[in-house]
Amino acid sequence: MTTGTTTTSGTPSSSGSALPDVMTGRVAWIFGDDFDIDLMIGVANIKYTDPEKLHAVCMKAYEEDFTDHVRAGDWLVGGRNFGYGHPHYVAMTAMRNEGIVGVLAESFSPGFWRGEISNGMPLLSVPGISTAVERWDDLEVDWRAATVRVPGKDLVLQGEVLNERYLTMLAAGGRYQLLLEEHRQRTR
Amino acid sequence: MGQTITQKILARVAEREHVGPGENHAVRPDYMIAYDFPGYTDRFFRQMEEDFGMTQVAEPDRYVLFVDHMLTNNDAREAEVHKVTRDWAHKNGVHFHENEGIGHQVAAELGYARPGTFLIHFDGHISSLGAFGALGMGVRRDLLEGWVTGGIHLDVPASTRFHLTGGFAPGVESRDLIHQIISDIGADGVAFQVMEYTGPGAESMPLGHRQSLCGMAMFAGGVSAIFNPDEMSLEYSRGVTDRDLGPLYSDPDAVYTARHDYDLDQLSPQVVLPGSARSSHTVPVGDVAGQSINRAFIGSCASGRIEDIRAAAEILEGKKVASGIELNVVPTSKRIYDQAESEGLLTVLRDAGAQVVDSSCDFCFGYAKPLAAGESCVSTGVLNISGRMGSPDSEIYMGSASTVAASALAGRLTDPREAVQ
Repeated sequence: MTTGTTTTSGTPSSSGSALPDVMTGRVAWIFGDDFDIDLMIGVANIKYTDPEKLHAVCMKAYEEDFTDHVRAGDWLVGGRNFGYGHPHYVAMTAMRNEGIVGVLAESFSPGFWRGEISNGMPLLSVPGISTAVERWDDLEVDWRAATVRVPGKDLVLQGEVLNERYLTMLAAGGRYQLLLEEHRQRTR
Repeated sequence: MGQTITQKILARVAEREHVGPGENHAVRPDYMIAYDFPGYTDRFFRQMEEDFGMTQVAEPDRYVLFVDHMLTNNDAREAEVHKVTRDWAHKNGVHFHENEGIGHQVAAELGYARPGTFLIHFDGHISSLGAFGALGMGVRRDLLEGWVTGGIHLDVPASTRFHLTGGFAPGVESRDLIHQIISDIGADGVAFQVMEYTGPGAESMPLGHRQSLCGMAMFAGGVSAIFNPDEMSLEYSRGVTDRDLGPLYSDPDAVYTARHDYDLDQLSPQVVLPGSARSSHTVPVGDVAGQSINRAFIGSCASGRIEDIRAAAEILEGKKVASGIELNVVPTSKRIYDQAESEGLLTVLRDAGAQVVDSSCDFCFGYAKPLAAGESCVSTGVLNISGRMGSPDSEIYMGSASTVAASALAGRLTDPREAVQ
């Protein structure tokens, strides 16, 4: 991962959210339909949690030096049914370690969707995204409004706005943080 | 406007008259189930106590814990995980079942999956309980929300109806139907929806076949699957629980996203090629007949039930598994094991050269007897991505119990209809 550059800047959070409302970054990779995320690190590595180990295997099957190019704030782009299969958490943990902040896909597999939204990762279903952008395009992603602006192409894509529960969860930083906040309010 | 059985069950646990697809509601599941596994339940126990200050759950009757993974080894670290689970269950007074079989099956045998009940689990294969008119949903680590608060927020899913007519021909089973459906509609054909099975073909289908069908819903993108209760499932439920049954049924004018019709008579055996259950990987077994294998497995939460074992025994009776083939048979639960033993089926399988093993999840996820590099297995397990059953350099073909038995007999992938004629 390129260090020293943070690109999750932009419009400040509206209410102390864990995420800026608008996140700027680049397209780090474009995956195809029915993508099984375990393949990002290789099935042989899905039980590892050591960051160094995950860094060493991340995307090796696709590009030897992927981790040299990706940087904080980058996004993954997917086709239909992203996260298909038994989506183990480790692959996206590896991607987060590399700086990936979210996934924009034509559609998502339900298990992956629930698991990663809960982990605090913005996922947006954006029709047309997989063919509208190219690798390393700059993006401005408003995860609350589900809009993706591609300045270099003078393009704005409208995705599906997340429901209130998911917005609240992402703003809290994920399911666990939200549960803790709600628990504190109940027991106050 | 009428409601589906799914809407009615979720409306009941949301304490509302009506819920509609796309709405997000806090619901109160009847049962919140988990199996113990390092990194999940042990973490839950720790978080509940240390971060939420919960030293005792308020309603232990709604919590169910199964120990059904990692039973075939005596690894000290994993034995410790089982002990932690055992101790937590005892301390909290929750339902605890160890070594009784795969939880998704045992949940049915112990009456948790009564018609009309709503159950959540970490694991999505809990959808198999739809066979009994119950709604089971896998919620992954969001299960913790249920364990901590007693409820969970869910999006109400729409439903797609699969109307079944006819009956399975000899050598054809519900595994062939679900793989045919995935082949037809795609791996996301019912994304975020519930698959509802209706029609005379559904009503005549044995419960074990219904469980297989419902348990594989996730590979079509489904969040669950369900049959409306009928006399077959109600009679089963009356036999396993004294609790009141509260069956719910789809209204005749319930609204579905789509309807697909299947004539079971027209189905043929399907095989899923190594990689995943996506459409392009699903082919008639005849297309790959002759492909050599050296391992075979009948079992898992999808396909180790009495119907599967009977089908395999019928094919293997009086014959021998091909030389060089290892066939492992794992009944889905102890109860099924005992029934198969009493029917003489396990003797038939052992005489044919099969190794019959105590019930657990361990073969399905490569914990027991993992495949070595270069090996090729035909399996009734639930997943065939590389490395699922051992080495990433082994291959897994998926099919029905009949296809596995016929292939084990021949030493190569074989259309089971050749063996049952």
